[in-house]
Amino acid sequence: MFHLGWFLGQGFGIQPGRGVFDGNAWRDWMKPQRYVEMTAALERGGYDFVFIEDTAMIEDTYGGSAEFTLAHGEMAPKNDPLPLVPLMAQGSRHIGIINTMSTIQYAPYTAARLMTTLDHLTDGRAGINVVTSVTHRVAQNFGFDEHLPHDKRYGMAAEWMDVVTKLWDSWEPGAVVGDTETPRYADHTKVHTIDHAGEYFKVRGPLNTIPGPQGRPVVGQAGNSVPGRELAAQYADTMLAMGHNVEQMKAFREDMHERLIAHGRKPGDLKVMFLVSPMLGESDAHAQDREARRAAAMHEAENIEMVLWGLSYISGGTVDFSKFDLDARMPDILGNGEQSSMRQFVAGNEDKTLREVVTGVRQIGDLGLVGSPDTVAGKMGEIMEEVGGDGFLLYQPLNLNPHSIAEYVDGLSPALRKRGLIRDGFDSVPFRDNLLAF
Amino acid sequence: MGTSPFRLGWFGNLTAPEWRDGWSTDDATGWTDGRFYVQMVQAMERAGFDFMMLEDSVMVPDIYAGTAELELKHAIYAPKLDPVPVVAMLAYATAHIGIVSTASTTFYPPYLLARAFSTLDHVTRGRVGWNVVTSSEDRAAQNFGMDTIGAHDRRYDVAAEFLEVVRKLWDSWAPDAVTADAATGYYADHTKVAPIHHTGEFFSVRGPLNTPRSPQGRPVICQAGSSPKGRDFAAAHADMLLCIPNGLDGMKAYRDDIRRRAEGVGRDPDEIKVFFVVEPVIGRTDDHAREKFEEYLSHGQRNYEFQMCNFAATMEIDFSVLDPDLPIPDDVTTNGHQGQFAIWKETFGGRPIREAAAQMRIGSIELVGSPSTVADLMEEAMARVGGDGFMFLSQPPSRSYLADITEGLCPELARRGLIRSGFRHATFRENLRSF
Repeated sequence: MFHLGWFLGQGFGIQPGRGVFDGNAWRDWMKPQRYVEMTAALERGGYDFVFIEDTAMIEDTYGGSAEFTLAHGEMAPKNDPLPLVPLMAQGSRHIGIINTMSTIQYAPYTAARLMTTLDHLTDGRAGINVVTSVTHRVAQNFGFDEHLPHDKRYGMAAEWMDVVTKLWDSWEPGAVVGDTETPRYADHTKVHTIDHAGEYFKVRGPLNTIPGPQGRPVVGQAGNSVPGRELAAQYADTMLAMGHNVEQMKAFREDMHERLIAHGRKPGDLKVMFLVSPMLGESDAHAQDREARRAAAMHEAENIEMVLWGLSYISGGTVDFSKFDLDARMPDILGNGEQSSMRQFVAGNEDKTLREVVTGVRQIGDLGLVGSPDTVAGKMGEIMEEVGGDGFLLYQPLNLNPHSIAEYVDGLSPALRKRGLIRDGFDSVPFRDNLLAF
Repeated sequence: MGTSPFRLGWFGNLTAPEWRDGWSTDDATGWTDGRFYVQMVQAMERAGFDFMMLEDSVMVPDIYAGTAELELKHAIYAPKLDPVPVVAMLAYATAHIGIVSTASTTFYPPYLLARAFSTLDHVTRGRVGWNVVTSSEDRAAQNFGMDTIGAHDRRYDVAAEFLEVVRKLWDSWAPDAVTADAATGYYADHTKVAPIHHTGEFFSVRGPLNTPRSPQGRPVICQAGSSPKGRDFAAAHADMLLCIPNGLDGMKAYRDDIRRRAEGVGRDPDEIKVFFVVEPVIGRTDDHAREKFEEYLSHGQRNYEFQMCNFAATMEIDFSVLDPDLPIPDDVTTNGHQGQFAIWKETFGGRPIREAAAQMRIGSIELVGSPSTVADLMEEAMARVGGDGFMFLSQPPSRSYLADITEGLCPELARRGLIRSGFRHATFRENLRSF
């Protein structure tokens, strides 16, 4: 058995809306009810969690203007995901909800308190995805002139997690007494200051709320660079992982296991979830036809622009990809943003043209998962068998569209369940216990 | 009597509700899932309240005698939930009532706050308010990298710039920026979404905001300043104010002063609604109410400890070093809630600390009686003061106390046409200005 997660890749933000069956999500993406329904559907489909992306900026690196960004609704507009979390939980009973928080946006005390509050409001189903933010544009909304260099911001994130964890642990188990006779609500000898003073943060503590049902909310991590992996190995219960073939996936997972052991943890303590966008169809032929149309569409001018826009973003706002000749060599750029994502476009493609790269390389691939639900379920089983386990984080852009969600929840999930590959229900336990159950 | 209608609000805290009185089976620990407050706000909406406010602070106080013992024994300021996500839950369970959340200009980056409250305005469909506080406690500052909170007047300078920044961010999307025109393929018009490029004394923020313009444009602004600096700030920025001046004369003077200051900065004073904090004791009859009040006063030691925690948390004055059998010495001062401290000293008069604190009940006027008697008192007070409304405080909140208000007092006020009978408008600010 393996786990399924759903990547809400646009966060609480604008959704695609110009296709025939895209519905009205382009306009009413800010209304919570659609997310409530999506979460309930995913729970029915046996998903362990929804993973909500977040970014706080309007990108204007590409072409030096926000025109493309706002015309197409690329990563903006977007709302704050935190108020959405308790609402998503209200329409479901078991599925976990992981929201993203950036270490340059939130003071550790604010973050620790918000996450504990969410853990209470969701009855133990809250998770945090810790990110360091990708671009200068985010940093400039928070008082920085430029973002910190990649490695430095991971140093900051490690200390941030250390502080947040200490705050979560600042109330000992048994601190809440609730003795009505004395009266004594809580025992002050079991509530401790943390007195943290480090390179980036100085925090006294204790936290001013009682521990949530999980004590520490589930911790997720999405950075695949070495500092990102180290952060995950120390703190995370699950991570978003990129892998474009079975060898890469296997190597990634083994690398994480070694890092976990080096930090005194067990390999089973972290679920490595591989990001993938399967292409489903009513038959294998139908799926292949859809895939062929998707691949052909990548050559359309609008889609080429979309990928160039994306490269400008993942460069951390350091490079405007509208400036290059599409038919010249792929520029050798690492940038200061998502370095692992950037490597994927650059490494091994040095001899290709920029056009070949942007029409051919996919940031999130399909791992060959193209076919009917039954075919894809079979392939997913084979891949996991070889990789050794944990699970997949599924992504496709039409998150809020019941038409599209149904393909996964009512098509793929039953096929996986029939093969005994995914859970057929949840135990009434907190999110982490379900996540670590197998 | 022909008194104009007035408004009701609730001064709420996301802390443990009353857990000692035998009417609260699981509330001592179960309150943290937020459902207690959902039920509370539903009752208030039904009863004709304009809003529920959620107070907030970010510390476990341990000033009194240098330990958190009394604080955690009574669970007054801690433990407490973060109000921001709870607002969404409260809004989803209601349709009209305004929901005001506190957030501190000292601890939030302006971008994060502008984004959170814009989101809340979207998910509440235009029913959110922001209670602007500067925070006043060193203990809170020490949770955010600072050794001390900073001087009182400087905090208001920071808050003024903070407000300027968040307003610019809220206005960074023109009202017609979102076109969502499938024919042209333009979701939003980038010429109507502009960076703010703010560089000031305290903040540097590029913008634009990444959330689209919200139903109210900006949240209802609530404020509680009672010092001269705080009053100027409120007069310039607030849609509503909460305050606890002493007695009818104090209430009238306070409201007149705020209205004068508002006019001084070119505002229509009717745009600012002043709410007076009260803690009524309601009984079936006046005698029954009086009995309940006597019963409250009989918990002298508990009330004394409670008020000492209050003082320690909000003024950061450790009263344990003072002789409880003497009055508050003249040389005791605070960097915390200065206006409030002055009022409390006045309330204590020359009485010994223990005696005065044990009998103290927070509120502008004493309201003890049957629903009819208390309604009379409220009606008279509003006629004398000129408006705008009351805010109920009850800490810890209890189910039975809430029912005293919503099922006893409110129906009586409604029968007299003194509170709203429904909501005419979609947004909180419009409803707040409707009469």
